[in-house]
Amino acid sequence: MSFLEVFQYTRQASLVHDLDPRSKMILAFTLAFISLLFLNIIPLIIILMTMIPLLVAAKSLQRWARSMKGMSYLLLFIVIFNTLLSTVSNPFSHSIALAIRLLALMTSFSIFFLTVHPDQLAQSLIQMRVRFEFAFAMSMAMRYVPTLGQEAYAIMDAQKARGVELDKGNILKRIRNIVPIIVPLIIVSIRRALSVAESMESRGFGASGNRTYMELLRFRRRDWAVMFVSLIVLIGSIYIRFFVPLPSWMLFQLPF
Amino acid sequence: MALVEFADFSFKYLGADFLALRKVSASVNEGEYVVITGPSGCGKTTLCRAINGLVPHFHRGYIAGNVYVDGQNTREATVAQLASKVGLVFQNPANQLVTLNVEKEIAFGPENLGVEPQEVRKRVEDIIDLLNLEHLREKHPHEMSGGEQQRLAMAATLALKPKVLVADEPTSNLDPKSAELILGIIAELNKRNGMTVLLVEHRLDLVAKDASRVLLMDRGQIVADGPPRDILPMDISMEIGVGIPKATQVYRRLQAKGIELGRVPLTGEELAILVGEVHRL
Amino acid sequence: MIIVEDVHYSYDGIYTALRGASLQIEKGERVAIMGTNGAGKTTLIKHMNGLLRPQVGRVIVDGVDAKFLSIAELSRTVGLVWQNPDHQLFLDSVKKEIEFGLKNLGFTPEAAEEQCVKTLQNLGLEGFAERSPFALSGGERKRVALATVLATEPQVLALDEPTIGQDAHQKELLARMLMDLNERGRTVIVVTHDVEFVIENFPRTIAMAEGRIVADGSTAAVLSNDDVLERCSLTPPQLTVAARALHRLFPQVSERLSLLSELEDVVSEILGGMT
Repeated sequence: MSFLEVFQYTRQASLVHDLDPRSKMILAFTLAFISLLFLNIIPLIIILMTMIPLLVAAKSLQRWARSMKGMSYLLLFIVIFNTLLSTVSNPFSHSIALAIRLLALMTSFSIFFLTVHPDQLAQSLIQMRVRFEFAFAMSMAMRYVPTLGQEAYAIMDAQKARGVELDKGNILKRIRNIVPIIVPLIIVSIRRALSVAESMESRGFGASGNRTYMELLRFRRRDWAVMFVSLIVLIGSIYIRFFVPLPSWMLFQLPF
Repeated sequence: MALVEFADFSFKYLGADFLALRKVSASVNEGEYVVITGPSGCGKTTLCRAINGLVPHFHRGYIAGNVYVDGQNTREATVAQLASKVGLVFQNPANQLVTLNVEKEIAFGPENLGVEPQEVRKRVEDIIDLLNLEHLREKHPHEMSGGEQQRLAMAATLALKPKVLVADEPTSNLDPKSAELILGIIAELNKRNGMTVLLVEHRLDLVAKDASRVLLMDRGQIVADGPPRDILPMDISMEIGVGIPKATQVYRRLQAKGIELGRVPLTGEELAILVGEVHRL
Repeated sequence: MIIVEDVHYSYDGIYTALRGASLQIEKGERVAIMGTNGAGKTTLIKHMNGLLRPQVGRVIVDGVDAKFLSIAELSRTVGLVWQNPDHQLFLDSVKKEIEFGLKNLGFTPEAAEEQCVKTLQNLGLEGFAERSPFALSGGERKRVALATVLATEPQVLALDEPTIGQDAHQKELLARMLMDLNERGRTVIVVTHDVEFVIENFPRTIAMAEGRIVADGSTAAVLSNDDVLERCSLTPPQLTVAARALHRLFPQVSERLSLLSELEDVVSEILGGMT
């Protein structure tokens, strides 16, 4: 699970962190789209390489490298199975290309998630006209994840002390043993939700459609620059893909 | 005009067998510090929620009589409208914190009510200062202690600039030191800033000395209402079983034996002082 | 009955909850374990029924090293009652809840049924057998959770924060029940920061701070020690405050009073004959 590390926000002072989350969203989608345009090894490597400077600028290169290491087993698995089951000519080459493309896709989204705080994500959704309640439900869910985790551990302790054995038995037994954990967890969560709702209501939640925001996201020149460059790169890539014949060294494939 | 007024107010939760509140009448004036106490199920929690409108707007049920807050009838106002008059602090600190940082939490209330962003920012800074939350600014609620969480919950409530602070057993889940801190903040708000306080608490030894008035409740009714030194030594307090401070209990027992201390002690120190005085006579 | 020998424990290798805690609790004692949140109190009692295993040191329960016993086996001797009853209730009748633990711990269905009836009676829950725990009030659910533990008749009963949110009457009932169990030979341990409850009902207190046991002795002595109170974030009970204030004026008064009646007698003596 350590490969998930590349999707976790960390607080840093970096150029990329300072950008508006919306421009980063466009950037991430652009990079992902471009990764999907090509299926040859060399172009994909080039695309992946262009993302590296962005990771460096976001001060997150080491994190990314660690995640990629964590991915290596999965990638190996994909390459092997795809090679064996593929029907195209040069299946191994094709599989390598797919693996690199997967890396490129992950990296493009990771640039977003590494540098955007959940609150900023919520705020950007709100400013993109998503209804406040939905965006807020998302950040509230994040807020309660650790609390719920703690509650789950407490429930497991309580049930273990009554003789519920969570680590023993065959698959069927283990699934049945989830019931004494899940039921209290759900009940407790519902009770909690009512309590939280009371508190939110008491502070005017849902009062008016004219909710104000203390911190608004504002686009700056650099954000427009990022948008502009992304657009150029996107159009350029589409053009190259469909209208420009690539030199043969770029179309290099492994012999098998 | 009283700030909070209950006029013959009755309420029964939907699906309940008994009335939670039965023809309750009481007025609270600005600046008072009222402690509400009574055995489990006496209606204290319902009373709190009737002041900010959760009863009857959030908790549906059968209602009779009225509650007025700053002249406004709670049946006709929404909870949101009452939110800028009444701040309600609940027992469980974690369930009152819904955001990922301190600033957002405090801003939550005013933002909901459409307060101007600069004003929201000002209130956030003022309250962080008032309640000493500066060192917690960057922390996630999960990383805070119970006492810190409750302080933040109070801050978030005060951000709405209410005239009345209603607290429903705010220290039950806290350790003694944190409890003292929170109650100290409440007492300060009352003394220094003139905040009207209604506090529900079982452990009267912690709050009796700061309160100007005690409301004793039992089975949905107010059975006694007056200054702590009058109410706590009364027989009714013993009968319904509330947490009378030990010093006051000693006073009663001595009185029964014919030993008169003069004034009613609420704390151990007061008891000692009184014994000293009587001894010297 | 329970021996804890120099136990160290840290969660995930990062957060050290216990740094060398040692204690001995004899059969039939009434002990309170007090301290701030995070002092290690709950971690300590979790070692007594095997939920946690010491990383250094050992725990001996009724003469047997706990490492040889499973959680289920230890739970027959040490019953833990948690603060939140909702953490364990999940079946559709009170009867099933009580029988659940009994069956898991090795009781036959007949024995389980018998124990269930007996326990419901003891706790005043006779009419509740077929009711769904979710339909009960908070206080009733607490009693059901207690019943599930008492039904297995463990020698040691350990309760985690049993007085939170309880009114004076409920606390009195709880105290009486614990006294009753203790008089019948059970060992009672309570983890709490309710100093008033402890001074009236528990002769021995173990005070903890930062994973260590800071004091272990008579409750009156421990709760009148300023240093201990400071380190463990505790406040002195009203009785102690009164005793000390009186001691300053009347040196013959002991600073270590633990019962309301003692305080009453002391004051009566001082003012004896005065009306």
